[in-house]
Amino acid sequence: MINTSFQRLWRLKDALLGLIGTRCLDCGFTAYPPKKSCPKCRSRNTKTVELGRVGKVVSYTVINVPMSGFEKMTPITIALVDVGGCIILTQLTGVRPEEVYVGMEVEATIRRSAETIDGYIPYIIKFKPVQ
Amino acid sequence: MWETFLRKVYVVGIGLTNVGRFYERSLRDLASEALIKALDDVGNITPEGMVVSNMLSSLIEQENLASLIADYSGLRGISGFKVEAACGSGGAAILAAYSLVSSGLMDIVAVVGVEKLSERPTPEVTRGLAYAADADYEIPYGVTFSGLNALVMRYYMSKYGVKREEIAVWPVLMHENGYKNPYAQLRMRITIDDVLKSPVIADPIRLYDSCPLSDGAAALILASEDIARKLNDTPVLIAGVGNALDSTDITSRFELDTFLASRLSAERAYRMSKLGPKDVDVAELHDAYSINGILTLEDVGFAPKGQGAKLLSEGRFRPGDKPVINPSGGLKSRGHPVGATGVYQVCEVVMQIRGDFPGIKVPCDVGLTQNIGGVGSNISTVILKRGD
Repeated sequence: MINTSFQRLWRLKDALLGLIGTRCLDCGFTAYPPKKSCPKCRSRNTKTVELGRVGKVVSYTVINVPMSGFEKMTPITIALVDVGGCIILTQLTGVRPEEVYVGMEVEATIRRSAETIDGYIPYIIKFKPVQ
Repeated sequence: MWETFLRKVYVVGIGLTNVGRFYERSLRDLASEALIKALDDVGNITPEGMVVSNMLSSLIEQENLASLIADYSGLRGISGFKVEAACGSGGAAILAAYSLVSSGLMDIVAVVGVEKLSERPTPEVTRGLAYAADADYEIPYGVTFSGLNALVMRYYMSKYGVKREEIAVWPVLMHENGYKNPYAQLRMRITIDDVLKSPVIADPIRLYDSCPLSDGAAALILASEDIARKLNDTPVLIAGVGNALDSTDITSRFELDTFLASRLSAERAYRMSKLGPKDVDVAELHDAYSINGILTLEDVGFAPKGQGAKLLSEGRFRPGDKPVINPSGGLKSRGHPVGATGVYQVCEVVMQIRGDFPGIKVPCDVGLTQNIGGVGSNISTVILKRGD
């Protein structure tokens, strides 16, 4: 069980399921998670953009000591993935931890996360190796 | 700003408990012990105000810490509040207390850092520590605080071609130093082989790359110049303070291998003190994981970018060098009582300058501490100098 309610995940569904970031219309910096203002040039002239669903692993880790709620999913492979000039954090699926490498090509897929405190099973985007 | 200040501020008293897991003592017991030691270090004075630093007391169902600690310690009626900046709470509380004294609002202010983690199971504490990251966007993936630091570590190693063994030198040195610190939690020597064979927490971070979960409390008494000279023969000047923020998430960082907030907060403290990295004799850096120690060596200005691990493995930063890094043993060996750590660091450097640190002694006039909240997202730097 994750210590969060379904209400919160519903509010976040666009970003978590649609991979939404923000792009600055003045300097071009793309941020994930989305920001109200550009972290680079402080412009408020930003728009939400759908990020790429294919990318390359920039860094990764295999978590053996989980936080409460994720015991049954452990070990968890987490990666930073560059989806066209913007880095996102995600879980890798469909790959053994020892087969992951920096530079590996991966694509988005939908998988379940841990159950919420109110008993729902949320689905989130994870990434799997490009076939 | 960070250049001018109204009144000089001195540290006139310090007090600290051992760091460890104290099943028989509560949060208020630890905080009060450190506070009363600090007050007695000056000569049982009454501060006008108290700033408490803590991150996770909500896990043990207790907030409103300033009232709790002040009242329990016989200081009912003084002013006070808590400051929270994740693992960087201690440094942030020192900045707040500094401002209270420097501005002239108060003459004597206590800073009390306290953390009590041992009465909750590890997965729950692990969850609490992850609250320092971006809860909306990171927790649904199950990424822990160790996991986030592991992502930074692998990126750094792959970008600069740094070997795993080179980073393992960090915890070995920390335990060598902390072995002699009576306040330290993990007083044992370890070898590079021990580090490389220890259990994997979040690959490539292993058990001996990680700080322990700790209980502990530390306290400082800050005073304005006039009062400091009356109270104490050996006041230590707070020559500079600095703080800076970065994103809570690591994905939108400008550079993954730099803690921007480390560099900015150090620059602010250097500017205020008119000192630079070459003037620092001793530094206490925030090595929650070995990689944090290496990155901040670089971002504080003690090593060029990408060279921190290399210089360390070539023998730099040990006792006898300038600067000596973490003679306390750092977070690795002294331990990491989260919200109290920034206060421990300043207590330790004050003792180094006064000459009464009970572990490895470093002859020094200038010391620096840096305390990190989150994965480099809220960082405070303090520069201390022998009072003239």
